[in-house]
Amino acid sequence: MRELGAMWRNTRMVVLCAISAALYAAVLVPFKVVPLIPGVTELRPANAIPIVCSFLFGPAAAWGAAIGNMIGDFFGGVGPGDIFGFFANLFYGYIPYKAWNVIAQGQSPVARSPGAVASYVAVCLAASVLCADIVGWGDNLLSFRPFSILGNIIVFNNMASALVLSPLILIAVYPRVRRGRMLYADVMPEFKERPWSVRAAGLLLLVAGEAGAWLMGNLVSTGYWAPSFLSAAMTQAPYDKAIAIVVSPFILLAVVGVGLM
Amino acid sequence: MKDGIAAPGAADPAPLKHDASAGVAPAAALDGVSFTYPGGARPALRRVSFELAAGEMVGVMGATGAGKSTLAKCLNRIVPEFEGGAFAGAVRIGGRRLDGARVCEVAARVGMVFQDFEAQLFSTNVAHEVAFAMEQIGMERAEMARRIRPALEAVGLGGFEHRDPTLLSGGEKQRLAIASVLALRPAVIVLDEPTTDLDPEGKAEIFALIGRLREQGISLVVIEHEAEVLRGADRLLLVREGEIIAEGAPHDLMTRLELLEECGVHPPDLNRVLAALGIAAHAASVDEAEALIRRALPRLGAPPHPLDTPTGPAAQAAAPCGAAAWSTDPAAGAQPLAEMRAVSFNYPGGPLVLDSIDLRIAPGEFVAIIGQNGSGKTTLAKHLVGLLRPATGAVMLNGRDRSAMRPAETAAEAGYVFQNPDHQIFAATVEDEVAFGPRNFNLAPGEIERRCAEALRAVGLENAGGRDPFLLGKGERQRLAVASVLALRPRLLILDEPATGLDYREQRRMMALVAELNRGGIAIVMITHTPWLVAEYASRVVLMRRGRKLYDGGVREFFARDELLASSSFRPPEATELARRFGTVALGPDELAAWLRARA
Amino acid sequence: MPIFLYIERATFIHRLHPTVKVFALFVMFWSVYWVDHPLALLPLAAVMAAAAQITGAWPNFYRLRWLFILVVFFTTLAWMVFYRQGPALINLPLIHLSRASLLFGLGRGLKLAELLATSVLFLSTTKVEEFTAGLARLGVPYRVGFAITLSFRLVPLFIDSALTVVQAQNLRGYDFNRGGPLERVRRYVPVVIPVFMGALRKANSMAMALEARGFGMSRQPTSFIDYPVEAGDLAATAALFALGAVYFIIYYTGYGAISPG
Repeated sequence: MRELGAMWRNTRMVVLCAISAALYAAVLVPFKVVPLIPGVTELRPANAIPIVCSFLFGPAAAWGAAIGNMIGDFFGGVGPGDIFGFFANLFYGYIPYKAWNVIAQGQSPVARSPGAVASYVAVCLAASVLCADIVGWGDNLLSFRPFSILGNIIVFNNMASALVLSPLILIAVYPRVRRGRMLYADVMPEFKERPWSVRAAGLLLLVAGEAGAWLMGNLVSTGYWAPSFLSAAMTQAPYDKAIAIVVSPFILLAVVGVGLM
Repeated sequence: MKDGIAAPGAADPAPLKHDASAGVAPAAALDGVSFTYPGGARPALRRVSFELAAGEMVGVMGATGAGKSTLAKCLNRIVPEFEGGAFAGAVRIGGRRLDGARVCEVAARVGMVFQDFEAQLFSTNVAHEVAFAMEQIGMERAEMARRIRPALEAVGLGGFEHRDPTLLSGGEKQRLAIASVLALRPAVIVLDEPTTDLDPEGKAEIFALIGRLREQGISLVVIEHEAEVLRGADRLLLVREGEIIAEGAPHDLMTRLELLEECGVHPPDLNRVLAALGIAAHAASVDEAEALIRRALPRLGAPPHPLDTPTGPAAQAAAPCGAAAWSTDPAAGAQPLAEMRAVSFNYPGGPLVLDSIDLRIAPGEFVAIIGQNGSGKTTLAKHLVGLLRPATGAVMLNGRDRSAMRPAETAAEAGYVFQNPDHQIFAATVEDEVAFGPRNFNLAPGEIERRCAEALRAVGLENAGGRDPFLLGKGERQRLAVASVLALRPRLLILDEPATGLDYREQRRMMALVAELNRGGIAIVMITHTPWLVAEYASRVVLMRRGRKLYDGGVREFFARDELLASSSFRPPEATELARRFGTVALGPDELAAWLRARA
Repeated sequence: MPIFLYIERATFIHRLHPTVKVFALFVMFWSVYWVDHPLALLPLAAVMAAAAQITGAWPNFYRLRWLFILVVFFTTLAWMVFYRQGPALINLPLIHLSRASLLFGLGRGLKLAELLATSVLFLSTTKVEEFTAGLARLGVPYRVGFAITLSFRLVPLFIDSALTVVQAQNLRGYDFNRGGPLERVRRYVPVVIPVFMGALRKANSMAMALEARGFGMSRQPTSFIDYPVEAGDLAATAALFALGAVYFIIYYTGYGAISPG
């Protein structure tokens, strides 16, 4: 995670961060929606951008996703939930390239072997679920909406863009960016990753944490499971305290995992 | 000094101070500099040496990719500090070597202004933009406040302090970029093609400003590929393949026309006329050229009285010297390909952008639409293809109301090539890019293939079908954009600034292509700011001002009407201006020379 | 249509110190957080309406009217599914319509709408540089603030370029609205790629222009813009403290709660 700080010393990375953010917001603002159920949920083509940028610009894309989401919110109005949205998007832009470096190190993200495709799907899922976990968790902590609403819509939305749109953009853009020596590895050649074993352990923690958070969040916020160690009042809507007690440890675990990656 | 600029002898306590000591040492110097970009196959610079004296203005000319920018970037350490790559040789600013300095440390001594003004403005307010660089070097607020107003006034933007930079015109944006550099009071300012993306007014603003900067004793390096604008420089460098192949005063270099053209530089009209007449001299102005010609060809007679020439009878009498005569309404008679009937247009709640425009375009015409920014040129052109719909009035294509036509039908009548080819190129190969349109219209595969081949042949890219469009040069990308529209076989082709951002060689190539298409029967509508393109290629001019058509007629007649030119601040090409001194209208240097020879 | 919400006026709210404005955001969030009952939220709505009147921000509210309506409607509806307390008024599948669930859902909807309104007011009266200056006061590093400002500046540029690309591809017969939802997401490729590549071409020139302007000389550059603290700022801060205190008292005395019965 050190590169999230180190990148700010590099002018190109600062600019790439702003560009990732502005691209995300620029697609977010005018082309906001392909409505699935009008007013309830929509596909946002913009969600493809952080994934693409992550593979290209690494840490700059992580900050770019966070800032871009913030600008999108600025256009449509911000709320306290957007603090969670900021960090959720930071991870959404951070996890893809980090997880890729753990499970498919050295491979091009646009390789078409079955292994590369499976790795691609896996890292997108890892990024999408943690993003959804954090927003759903935050929204429910503040008892605005139950975890199970945003916690699932976001996974679906992110994955739809990541699987349908991102690969098409990546295939077109990645080789050209590599040729232009603008990949993060070229722009920040001095950066060294931690030993593989540490990063692999981090990835395992992330997956365990985010899967647990997602599962618990859904079970608790739907009232499907009322943990016996909680008081009766806590296991009723809006479930904010139950979510705080049951889901938070898993979120923490996932974040620690990301930190080790 | 660890990071700073290595000074010979004692360490300078304030390496970023305005350097007044430049009187003795040259303001800037390159000693045997060679440089290869990372991954570059061949060097971008080869053992380049040059000196810039204090207060001197040096113009650097050459084709795209010749190494002009690279040379300039050595002066503020962007090469090699920012770009990476293999660097050899030494750079000195004010006598001190820059070895190991970071780009930001040189900022206060060498100011740099780039072509893309959008990419060098970072603030939300003009005063803050000027302050930006001063903030970076840690200047006190009071000192910044003292410097902002003079810097803005120097570039003619006094009173703009609280404006939003994004709302300025191109010329104003570029002047703002210069002001933000000026505020640091550098000894040297480098301008890298500062006017390429500007309209004629913006260009004139910048060159007027460059003149004022010279008067203040600032040493200047100006990169350009139009020789004409560098006539006022003290010295010119001609760069080719990473080397300075010629160097000298303007009067020396500008008479070497073949060399200039070989290097992709647009040779000045005046020098071309003189050379064609066998006059071995340089003219620094139209006046000088006229005097030289009259001296060499005394039989031409006295200059006409100035009051005779401008318009009316004199203009009528001014016989066209080319073969083609003009006609006032070329579209009369034939069934028009495109027609606008009393078209008005405004954006919701906004003023009229088009004010009852009538326009007929006949098959095979070549129409140039000119006018200042915001005059309605592009709005007009966009109506022809249905990108905008008239508020009142109608647009007809080949006799049918456009609003009743399907996109495929419109596309077969009129195609539109945007100014920036990068606004449409996305495919993996050149072929796919061209095939995109025909595929969208569900043509048969055989037909798509035929059309692609035809379109690529037309633009001279028939051997590039499998290449990645993003690896093509700017000129090739522009031609690819034309091909991808041609593949829809429109009978009318609209081009928005087809030659902007290209060097002279590519401009010529692009325009030869357009002229060829026109000869093949495609009507051309070209939106442009570039006078010589209008003079040398168009057969009809439509002049727009504030949403109205101010003039619609022949090119020669247009250039004969001084009041029109003045009111639209459209400066004719110098050859045309020179021709007017002899009481005629010529549309190019060769034509004028032939006419003069015939009369001498 | 302007992309951002800022409205140029010289009202005293516009002139408030950026830090006070950020503090106002926080106080609104705080106040909304402590109460559940729709009636308890109405005084806040009145404060906001007054602010909208003073600042001339109504056009922005009108622009976002559907967002407000949808947020209230769907949040109310969502909680009728999850908040299953109080005797049901009508028997419906999935939805539990009781006095308590209606009040609870409506309260949540109003909360979100009020937070949205707060942000609309904030954005109507605050320039980007004021926002980043506010962030800097709160300890956000210079370069992060700069990246945010730069992103804001780039968004309209990229939107412009995206709209031009849309026009160019439309003229080549491309239809963006063809096919099902996923196909429609996929159809963004011919827009996203040119915009992306155009942005990348800009990235290098921008980084270069930045360094040529001395970017990187100092970690904490000086600031030309000065925001002096004035009497109005102190008064506003005091009023905001009072508002926050009142809402905490409402919570503490139990008036803001909803009784399940």
